[in-house]
Amino acid sequence: MTNLIDEMRIKIIDTLKLEDVAPEDIGEDEQLVGGELGLDSIDVLELVIMIEKDYAVKIDNKELGARVFANLKTLTDYIAEKSPKDLS
Amino acid sequence: MIDIRAVIAGLGLVTPLGNGVEQNWAALLRGSTGNGNLTLFPTPDDISFPVGEVAVQLFHEGLPRTHQLAVIAAKEALGGINIAPDAVVIGTTTGGMSRTEDLLKKKVSDPSLFSRHGAGSVAEYLASELRCRGPAITISTACSSGAAAMALAVALLKTGQFQRILAGGAESLCRLTYHGFNSLQLIDPKGARPLDRDRKGLTVSEGAGMMLLMAETGIPDPETIEILGTGLTCDAHHPASPDPEGNGAFKAMKGALEDADITASKIDYVNLHGTGTIDNDLAEAKAFHRLFHGKTPPCSSIKGAVGHSLSASGAVEAVVSANCVKKGAAPPNTGYLTPDPRLNLRPLEEALEAPIKTVLSNAFGFGGGNASLVIGKNPKGRGDGLRPPATFHVVGLACITGAGDLSQTLKTFMQGRSCQGRLSNEEISKPLSSRSVRRLKRLSRLGLNLAEGAFKHAGIENRPDSVFLGTGWGALSETHDFLKQLYETEERFSSPTDFIGSVHNATAGRIAIKFNARGPNITTTGGDHSFEQALLSAQLLAEDDEAPLLVMGADEFHPELSPLFDPSVRETETPSDGGGALLMRRSESGSGTKVGVVFYESANENPLVMEALVNALGGTEKIAADFGAILAGLPAASRMEGKKQLDSFLKMAGFSGPVIDYRKYVGEFASASAVAAVLGSALLKTSVIPDTLAKDNDVPLNGKGILLLGLGNCVTAVSLHDGKVKT
Repeated sequence: MTNLIDEMRIKIIDTLKLEDVAPEDIGEDEQLVGGELGLDSIDVLELVIMIEKDYAVKIDNKELGARVFANLKTLTDYIAEKSPKDLS
Repeated sequence: MIDIRAVIAGLGLVTPLGNGVEQNWAALLRGSTGNGNLTLFPTPDDISFPVGEVAVQLFHEGLPRTHQLAVIAAKEALGGINIAPDAVVIGTTTGGMSRTEDLLKKKVSDPSLFSRHGAGSVAEYLASELRCRGPAITISTACSSGAAAMALAVALLKTGQFQRILAGGAESLCRLTYHGFNSLQLIDPKGARPLDRDRKGLTVSEGAGMMLLMAETGIPDPETIEILGTGLTCDAHHPASPDPEGNGAFKAMKGALEDADITASKIDYVNLHGTGTIDNDLAEAKAFHRLFHGKTPPCSSIKGAVGHSLSASGAVEAVVSANCVKKGAAPPNTGYLTPDPRLNLRPLEEALEAPIKTVLSNAFGFGGGNASLVIGKNPKGRGDGLRPPATFHVVGLACITGAGDLSQTLKTFMQGRSCQGRLSNEEISKPLSSRSVRRLKRLSRLGLNLAEGAFKHAGIENRPDSVFLGTGWGALSETHDFLKQLYETEERFSSPTDFIGSVHNATAGRIAIKFNARGPNITTTGGDHSFEQALLSAQLLAEDDEAPLLVMGADEFHPELSPLFDPSVRETETPSDGGGALLMRRSESGSGTKVGVVFYESANENPLVMEALVNALGGTEKIAADFGAILAGLPAASRMEGKKQLDSFLKMAGFSGPVIDYRKYVGEFASASAVAAVLGSALLKTSVIPDTLAKDNDVPLNGKGILLLGLGNCVTAVSLHDGKVKT
């Protein structure tokens, strides 16, 4: 799980081109959207594409998205639960 | 005082519901829907949702679908009358994209097959087919394009210089919009249900709506239907989501009512933008209630019936609105079943038959652009006096070329050296905060840099309130990257960020957010004359106040797409890009260069175009008295023709001052003329054309102005003057 969280930190930074953010800046329980990272709904949609592409997990509606993208932990938990891929 | 009214003399419509106004009207009143399966291109099995596809038999294999839809609607609007319009104004965003996508997918690299890619090529094709010699202008402001085009056409008529204008919008379905809206999760899988409690989004569709508009004076026939008022604003809120309070939408509707000189109580029906997305319908409902204060007129959205034809939709709905007045009826809100308490809005569930004299029609879009039109019978029987194009004076300048920013470019240019080339992305991003531009690619970065540069150069406190930007080819990086990812993933994945950034007006929308500029936000596109279109639009549409406005031109070079799309780029060895920005104020007085478009005609089958230019400038003596130098725009691809035009002009005008072939210095890109306008303004300040540019000796301007000529497939003239702008 720690691996997935670390991996996700890097993927978020790369996908969203957060040049001034270091992986450790993204706390596990830190609010992802509307928080200090400055992410908004378009960023969430960009991450949705990345997650479907890389983990084969669909997050195809706003309500689900709001829940899943609450923080890094909720996001990685959801991916770990739903992904058909071996994430260990 | 001469009263000029914008009379609707013809209507044309093609939508997924059918071909022609009558067929559409019958289907609309029945509550039919044209939403169904996509057949135009294949999609992966699990990506499937309804679209609005036009079922009409198209006639011309080699012509992109958007152009064909435009021709169908235009022919109906002109009603078989074989008189060329004086101007063509079209709203479109994707232009020839559907065809370009097929070609890029097949990795076709023959540039001749991309000759109708440009959004501007739709208006140019129509103008050529209809033998229109006047300007063919394209507004590309995403989903408000068609309505904004109508507003510009009305403004052109009210100058008194045009009699008949074909105006409208056209858009065909393509992968970009189909997958783009899907990536934004803005599609309703059951088909659009605008205003319904359970709505999930829009249905992407295609179509065209056209009007023949005529300038009329004198007492109107009581049955005549006119565009009575127009309102253009910008949310300056978000690139793709409406201001949740609907402030921009409210201001556009209110502006249209004020322009029509009527109160909200006179509106008999509102044709809502009503896309069916949760956010649009919420914001629009708020604006609607604020405007009507509880005395709400009947309203409906037709997007459950015809889908959302994006840039065409504002024109399609303007045509439907005009027909509501003509027929004394209004269409139901197809797809609507359950009231949404959050909207507190009950749209028409069945067709309404009632005397409808005045309709308000809305179109809002990406980039925050809002356009509202008031269409109806003229209650007062009179219109406005002439509204000549405004005059502006420059308060701040900026440009970007391969040589650098304004001061670097000016220094290099004054030494008679080339400024060709392009700056690195890092270089153009330097003045911009990395966080604010992390999602932006080259064109938006160029635009923001230019806008900030002009504002800083002006050194004033008042921020610009409106933005007029011309771009020949739009956001090529985003378009390219969107399609690249789509094709690399077998059409499964595409970037929502690139989709939002790919619309031509993304850059101007970004600039509006930066400056909180809530006035008109217009992006024009028409190859090498895109900047001139932006300047002309500004002169016609800028608000009548003292707030500064930005008029700009910018283009990016893209290594794969630019040589395919822009024939002049293919002729040059030094890829170049950049742009220019002029921060200006409306005024008759004040110091600073006065700038304005003084001539705009097509050169196509127009043998007397240069004579017309000489006449428009007041003849030989006046030209010699007014202008001390010429900046001539000779695009490489039409250099021979341009040179002939220039020689003919110089001979007819007897002009003997310096003529600077500015593309040799600035480079080959569509909006090079924006840089030339900036350099011209700077040259005027020095009052002299240095020997490095004038060939032999320094040539003093002696208080005369500079004429900026655009040559090639169109002939345009912009006057740069320290005196009064000559119009």
